[in-house]
Amino acid sequence: MIVIDGLTKRYGDTTAVDGLTFTVRPGRVTGLLGPTGAGKSATMRLILGLDRADAGTVTVNGRPYADAPRPMREVGALLDARAVHPRRTARDHLRWLARSNGVPAARVDEVLWTAGLASVARRRAGTFSLGMCRRLGVAAALLGDPGVLLLDEPVNGLDAEGAKWIRELMRDLAAQGRTVLVSSRLMSEMAQTADHLVVIARGRLIADAGMDEFAEGEAGIVVRADLPALLADRLRTVGGTCRPGPDGALIVTGVEPREIGEAALTTGVVLSELTPRRASLEQAYLDLTRDTLEFHAGSGKDAG
Amino acid sequence: MRAGFADIALAEWIKFRSVPGHLYGWAAAVVLMVVMGALTAHGAAGSHLAAPPAERASFDPVFTGMYGGFLFAQIAMGALGVLSVTSEYATGTIRATLTVVPRRTRLLAAKSAALGVIALVTGLVAAPIAFLAGQAVLARRGAPSAGLAAPGAPRAVLGMALLWVLAALTGLALGVLIRRAALALTVLVTLDLLIPVVAPRVLSDAGATWLARYWPPTAGLRIIATVPDPALLAPWAGLGLLVTCTAALLVAAGILFRARDA
Repeated sequence: MIVIDGLTKRYGDTTAVDGLTFTVRPGRVTGLLGPTGAGKSATMRLILGLDRADAGTVTVNGRPYADAPRPMREVGALLDARAVHPRRTARDHLRWLARSNGVPAARVDEVLWTAGLASVARRRAGTFSLGMCRRLGVAAALLGDPGVLLLDEPVNGLDAEGAKWIRELMRDLAAQGRTVLVSSRLMSEMAQTADHLVVIARGRLIADAGMDEFAEGEAGIVVRADLPALLADRLRTVGGTCRPGPDGALIVTGVEPREIGEAALTTGVVLSELTPRRASLEQAYLDLTRDTLEFHAGSGKDAG
Repeated sequence: MRAGFADIALAEWIKFRSVPGHLYGWAAAVVLMVVMGALTAHGAAGSHLAAPPAERASFDPVFTGMYGGFLFAQIAMGALGVLSVTSEYATGTIRATLTVVPRRTRLLAAKSAALGVIALVTGLVAAPIAFLAGQAVLARRGAPSAGLAAPGAPRAVLGMALLWVLAALTGLALGVLIRRAALALTVLVTLDLLIPVVAPRVLSDAGATWLARYWPPTAGLRIIATVPDPALLAPWAGLGLLVTCTAALLVAAGILFRARDA
């Protein structure tokens, strides 16, 4: 469990993370979704204490990460897969990591197998492809058998096979009751793995909801009528919510199509369209981040 | 179970020995110590024999036989210290390191301990070899020479090993403070070589005298002197000054290391 409360981080003039508050719970894959520069990587660095927060707190399993007696047992992180010494072998890379936390050396061979790297364990990491580096990064993250996993864009740039492997691994880890936080810029990626979504843009929280709620939240029924205001008033009395849609249409939520028909009958309004619409996740994400994106592009700054 | 200090230090040792470049630098330090020491002794013996008798009285065979080698070996050891940190920033492994060892003061202490032990053991091997090689060269040229049991010689040899530790730790501290290899190495060479060797030639006499007495790397070298010189510090006073300055540099590095984003 990761609890983030009022987290703020500035780099120079840029506020990368701005009063962020959310909780990452165990037993499910939580997706941290946002456009480039939204503050996803910065949030992960702040969770690990790699960067110092200007305000707010982060706890991992109830305490600051740095206070964990055996940090590798607490959190496994894959931030930048290329961050390995190119002259060191894959096995030596894992060996020093294991040693630092008193993890038995035999565990190194286990994770090398899990990551499919056993045959290249004695090759220098500098000769690895991006996919192999990712696998090495995953092996490093799993080394301490941690209850919490942080993965920063783990699928980005991978071929289909590598991407599938990581997605299945994340689902397995969550199913084992672990806390999994994975970031991405792409809703299509999140739709394949995440159970829960935290959407951020410009360092601010935009949405924090289950994948199902997220899709439903943007769904609605498109209604066209000759007297939309009258119909909207009637629908509100039966629990519906109406907001203006394109070309004078109403987007109605909270009521069934049949109830809209009844409302039309009661008020004598003529309906010309009644279309249940299930917004795509991608559309919902774009709708949520559109405003911030426009502002972002205009400001000409990137929070990294 | 808590991951112990020894675990972190051993992890740093695995890091050190698993990169071939470190091992070459390590070997280079020993070779430079012995070879450059012998060459310096060779030249110094010639100067000594040509010098007037008054100057000959102050000839220090122990110092003469080792200091030239150390001028080079200290750069090699210091560079290892620098690179052990800057290579982590250059490759990004510093983030992996700080993820598995988030206590930064503890990490820096463990890094210092691992590098310090590496430097000490190497120094304890290189110093007697360099001593014997230097004295053999002096004896061959007909200049005064000393044995390992001569007065002050054991202190000079052990002190030389301590100088290796201090040279390596200076590099480590500079690496943490500066984080970029090129600049850190330039500063290292300036502190350890340019200021003690070149500055006295361009400064006023007063400045040169002060530097010869108080510039920490120069003062530290007094630990291998066996002939007293009233113009310079006593052996342990000189080493003490260098230890104090190196410790101050490490403390500064620790404070900055804690405060900065990785």
